[in-house]
Amino acid sequence: MNFPKPAVGMLPNDRLAYSAIPSRKPLKLPKGARMVVWTITNVEEWDPTQTMPRTVLTPPAGGSPMPDIPNWCWHEYGNRVGFWRLLQVYDEFKIPGVMNINGVAVQAYPDIVKACVERNWEFVGHGYTQRNMQKVENERTDIRKSAEVLERATGKRPRGWLGPGLTETWETPDILAEEGYDYVADWVLDDQPVWMKTRGKPILNIPYTQECNDVAMMLIQHHKASEFCERAMDQFEQIYKDAKGSARVMAISVHPYIMGAPHRAKYFRKIYEKIRKKRDVLFWTGSQIADWYMKVGPKPAV
Amino acid sequence: MHPRERLPYSPIEGRPPLALPKGVRLVVWPVLALEEWDMSRPMARMVISPPQGQPMLPDHPNWSWHEYGMRVGFWRLRKMILKLGISPTITLNAKVCETYPSVVRACMDSGWELNAHSYDQVPMHKLDDQRAVIEKSMDIIEKFSGKRPRGWFGPGLTQTFDTLDYLSEAGVEYIGDWVLDDEPVTLKTRHKPVVALPYNFEIHDIVMMALQHHPSEEWHFRALDHFETLYAEAVERPKFMALACHPYLSGVPHRIGHVERTFAEILSRDGVVAWDGSKILDWYLAESKLQDAAA
Repeated sequence: MNFPKPAVGMLPNDRLAYSAIPSRKPLKLPKGARMVVWTITNVEEWDPTQTMPRTVLTPPAGGSPMPDIPNWCWHEYGNRVGFWRLLQVYDEFKIPGVMNINGVAVQAYPDIVKACVERNWEFVGHGYTQRNMQKVENERTDIRKSAEVLERATGKRPRGWLGPGLTETWETPDILAEEGYDYVADWVLDDQPVWMKTRGKPILNIPYTQECNDVAMMLIQHHKASEFCERAMDQFEQIYKDAKGSARVMAISVHPYIMGAPHRAKYFRKIYEKIRKKRDVLFWTGSQIADWYMKVGPKPAV
Repeated sequence: MHPRERLPYSPIEGRPPLALPKGVRLVVWPVLALEEWDMSRPMARMVISPPQGQPMLPDHPNWSWHEYGMRVGFWRLRKMILKLGISPTITLNAKVCETYPSVVRACMDSGWELNAHSYDQVPMHKLDDQRAVIEKSMDIIEKFSGKRPRGWFGPGLTQTFDTLDYLSEAGVEYIGDWVLDDEPVTLKTRHKPVVALPYNFEIHDIVMMALQHHPSEEWHFRALDHFETLYAEAVERPKFMALACHPYLSGVPHRIGHVERTFAEILSRDGVVAWDGSKILDWYLAESKLQDAAA
């Protein structure tokens, strides 16, 4: 069906053509591996003078209080306490870290940034503030400032972008490519990376997840904490099976205020207890996935 | 004040640990909340949503559901607490002294700490004169019990940017509204500082049961997962675990068993004690003074 074209940017369908996964040329990973797992920690700063992005405790008889102290504090716990629990898991299982962080959070939580820089984590752009990209005043400024802040903090320009709530405008991939980003992860439409057209250079999309994601599971679907591990293992086993013959990429996504809570942390750890030692599974950063695919995958359409 | 003006960010890693008394590894903080739901307003929580989603006033079904807690549920929880031999913090809407005096008297007879939970179950943002309501709540409970409460919980833990200043003015020494840490922290106000004790709304029956719709056994399941993490970490620094009960939720027949075995199992572990908010506060004030003196 022909959909009306937006005034700026492109329809998703114009950025990438439909493609059935069995019809693609097989992708091969180094070292005889068959799949890649990347583990993303998301760190945000929530502005107490704005509506909280998520809430767990609503006020009696409903309503949206301003300020929302309880839910602001519940989130803040993640950066004060929860993050350090997740970090222990990364350290213990030697998982290459991916820090998906709001530009403003870099200044608010210097200890977190320092810990990740010391460990050589990859930093990914996650909005300048924690806001829907469609509600941001100037998207280009937001994207550019994010890159600048991250470069100042880490010495390296971010290669990847993962928007707040994965939100985008019609133009986001165009702006990202123009601002020097190599990959984006907002498009959860595949188990393999895929090239996308922009009005300039093509940009690569790397498989991220709304399924193995603690916001979706715990906050929206209200699952019990053990579901995080159960679902990750079910997902892992299926993708591992699918990966026979052609590589797959699986993401696991955590937020310190959710999986870093005392009653949840062990279910994050449990996943790596089960999968970290598998010889044919690679644990990479987004950057490593991008480099690999750019080398061995199909070239982008020009 | 912006929350950051009251308390700067600080990561738990790297803070000099305070010391609990010898033999104490983890402190459980049992909190029981008693509320008054005014029938002329929408109910604070609902277990049964109205047919076709049309809100109704009065809301008999949900009012009754809450009232069960005061008539029946509270007494189950009280029996459980006496059996466990622990001293909880009772946070109550001050109006409960007027409408359910026998419940409050039962708490007083057992020597339980009374904590102010505003006047009735309305968020602080909806009050025309917050300061007056705070003073009134503190006064009513003081008059009824002979002791001015030391601690406060806002309804739904709500606060405006100024609430803490009014609370301090009214003589509140500690709150449970700021669920942002595993340890007590001191908050600046325009008057005396107020201590935020480590509360949480993970091990909290409204969140788990009324909002997230977990099965009753989740009470036990989640609490034990939470406990095991903190207990292991407690080797390095003091840990506190609040457990929040409301009579209309935790006191119902299909949940009380899970609640009781949760408390029993956790309290049976080495070095675990139950303190009320007052006791946690006094420990923190003494310890932080020692630490400041040593610095």
